[in-house]
Amino acid sequence: MLLLTLIAYKSAASAQDVVLVANKSVRMSEIKDADLRAIFMGSKTRFSDGSRAVPVILKGGPAHEVFLRNHIGESPADFQAQWRKAVFTGQGAMPRAFDSEAALIEYVAATPGAIGYVSRISSQDPVKRLVTFK
Amino acid sequence: MPKRLSLFLLACVYTASLYAQDFSGIQFHGFVTQGFLFSSNNNYLTMQSSTGSLQWTDGAVSVTDSLSDSLRVGIQLHMYQLGQLGGPNVQVDWASGDYKVNDHLGFRAGKVKTVLGLFNDSQDVDAVFLWILLPQSNYPIDNKSFYLAHLGGEVYGALSLGSRAGNLQYRGHAGQANLDLNGGYVQQSADDGLVFTAAPGGKTYGGDLRWDAPLRGLTIGSSADVFALDGTAPGGSLHAAPFLISAQYAQFTKGKFYFAGEYRRSPFDGILTVGPAVIPLPIDQRAWFAMGSYRLSQKFQVGSYYSHYVNKALDTTLPANYSKDWVLSGRYDFNSYFYGKLEAHFLQGTGLGYYQGTNPNGLRPNSNMLAAQIGFSF
Repeated sequence: MLLLTLIAYKSAASAQDVVLVANKSVRMSEIKDADLRAIFMGSKTRFSDGSRAVPVILKGGPAHEVFLRNHIGESPADFQAQWRKAVFTGQGAMPRAFDSEAALIEYVAATPGAIGYVSRISSQDPVKRLVTFK
Repeated sequence: MPKRLSLFLLACVYTASLYAQDFSGIQFHGFVTQGFLFSSNNNYLTMQSSTGSLQWTDGAVSVTDSLSDSLRVGIQLHMYQLGQLGGPNVQVDWASGDYKVNDHLGFRAGKVKTVLGLFNDSQDVDAVFLWILLPQSNYPIDNKSFYLAHLGGEVYGALSLGSRAGNLQYRGHAGQANLDLNGGYVQQSADDGLVFTAAPGGKTYGGDLRWDAPLRGLTIGSSADVFALDGTAPGGSLHAAPFLISAQYAQFTKGKFYFAGEYRRSPFDGILTVGPAVIPLPIDQRAWFAMGSYRLSQKFQVGSYYSHYVNKALDTTLPANYSKDWVLSGRYDFNSYFYGKLEAHFLQGTGLGYYQGTNPNGLRPNSNMLAAQIGFSF
């Protein structure tokens, strides 16, 4: 029964989407899907209003995988390979990566322009929520 | 345990402690790989591969720092041993300042990776590829250093063509490129009796235009680079007037599938002078490859490619003037840092990768090869 519960929980976690979070200095509350992808793949460094975007990621886990699958269209391995290519050819610096969602939220809250994702947020978290559109 | 395997493990343990350190904007990254090659006939890439060779080690460490929102500086040190090539020489792979005005315009200056086709600037970053050897027709590993980077500058950027037309990325560069004194071209010159003590080199300029189509995952592009080459050595010289290398390519990613292909042409009229002897080096290289891969799971990826090289300036029926390689490859990622690869090559022709010094009794036209590699990247 415990095993079935765990499997059901894991399936539910991977099926649902992540919550996009940003520093409160980010003026927009919606972001285009294509812009979100470009920011996390390093081809864009600014939001559509011209302000600087600082993408941050989780080092792994279900939320990381769901975010990459639903919003970036890459597997974790391919996403990592793309960034390694940028780093080792001198064309980019990897997004800052966090072990926990709490640490990511703390960094996003303190860094102007920061944007990341978590599995859920509470109303007390000092970050703003973003939604995507096509 | 062989000495080089010990060095590999030591490097892994040491670099693991660094684990992509990030000190308020300063990032440290690195990789190290150890390869093994066994060939049924001939000795490949200056290794004694017909008896099995472990003389294949590669490693690099990079440091980057973002000095401001727009300015980033960094350096990467690289060392490789490929048979008799490379050796214990630490080279500056790239070292540059990168000033990005906005997403449409940026500048890099210093020693900068050279864009040419799909993989030229990343061909020494083993960790990002499924393949142990990239298609040798277009990316010969024994001569990668000359094309890999130049001293000079680069302008780059991207333009959005609208949601229905995709994006356009551009890069243009100019500078100086030098041969690697421990690389394949210099080794071949030595086989011909000309031993360089200073690296031959010349001016280079060129650029790349690639279109990210509105169909997600599809990229189509074209590169053109001009190189020139001059060098003198005790007893002779090497001269090549500026020559154009052009490449057209496409790649497509869809879910677990990846496909790519590239065509390259490199006409080259070099002259090697050794004492009173003038040796012409007529080359009109036509090269292409087609590849595909499939990700079976998060950790396991398999793929295959065909790589084709022919020197149209000479008799293309002779094995020495062509190289055709069918390849099967697999990669397993043990975790985010460690991976292993296995690759089979079915090689026809001896136009690429063979050296007289390691094949004193001549070459057989065909050879099968098995390559294995373990790598660590952080």
